[in-house]
Amino acid sequence: MSTIIRIPTPLRTLTSGVDEVTVTGATVGEALEDLDRKHPGIRERLMDEKGIRRFVNVYVGDEDVRFLDGLRTPLKAGDDISIVPAIAGG
Amino acid sequence: MVASRRALGGFRVNRSHSKVLVVGLGGLGCPAAWTLALAGVGVLGLCDDDQVELANLHRQILFGVADVGTPKVAAASRSLRALAPSVVLRTHPTRLVPETAIDLVRGYDVVVEGADNFATKFLTADACALARVPVVHGAAVRWVGTVFAVGMDGRPCYRCLFEDLPTGGSLGCSEAGVMGPMVGVVAAAQADLALGVIDGRDVAGQLVTFNGRTGELRRRTVAARPDCPLCGSRAIHSIDEARYALATGAD
Repeated sequence: MSTIIRIPTPLRTLTSGVDEVTVTGATVGEALEDLDRKHPGIRERLMDEKGIRRFVNVYVGDEDVRFLDGLRTPLKAGDDISIVPAIAGG
Repeated sequence: MVASRRALGGFRVNRSHSKVLVVGLGGLGCPAAWTLALAGVGVLGLCDDDQVELANLHRQILFGVADVGTPKVAAASRSLRALAPSVVLRTHPTRLVPETAIDLVRGYDVVVEGADNFATKFLTADACALARVPVVHGAAVRWVGTVFAVGMDGRPCYRCLFEDLPTGGSLGCSEAGVMGPMVGVVAAAQADLALGVIDGRDVAGQLVTFNGRTGELRRRTVAARPDCPLCGSRAIHSIDEARYALATGAD
């Protein structure tokens, strides 16, 4: 099953400027692994050995996956994943 | 003369007794302060230790060429006084520091935080939580912006959203740049949520994200983390000064 991941601006240096990447995977974790296969290095920015980094939020639709089942959160047709990293600036 | 009572959707609200502190007079703080002053708040506090630079002018709308080299709080006060003479302006020509942060925010009803560095953002979050003062955080880098409102009870808080200071790899506007129009959109959303706090709207926990390339503005409600280090089961009781020892100045 394919899912769209929306890439926030600060991470687009790792996706050659692309703002949406279509990935495959039955769970959020699998989708992010596929994202890293397509754009190596982005996993490091999103996850550490404990899971999703403490200053990054991953949403399926409007739901923070921390309050679902984390990286094991299942995906269904039509879901989109968005990433909200901590940013500072203005 | 700015009227203290403003028409709002068919009814009128009185904001003349409200006190708002703006932390960081950069691309977000300037338009946020502009909006709040004209919205009729009673007292506007301005906190920043920087001076106006030429590179600021494309997005920091309270300043002009003649202000370059002037402390931001002084230049912003001049602009705001001309725009809204009825607003009482309090200037705090300092960066937010751990030793005085709680006392500073305690003098206000709501804080609008638009700092350019994570240390000041997290310090503002800590101080507001401990002083029980609502805060609206804002940030903009390149084409992305986020705004997050924390209510009086402090839950959910900034550390429910971002648990801790980033360790490398996160960008600020000084490294990545920010598109001038972006900060206007993000600051308007910040001012709207701050006015929501003043007007008694339920804005706590609202997260607004804006994608400047697509124009998509998305609003979500953040849930409180049970184990949040600021407002949850592991909540702090004082500011860890060592944690913020390297805090840099707000923009």
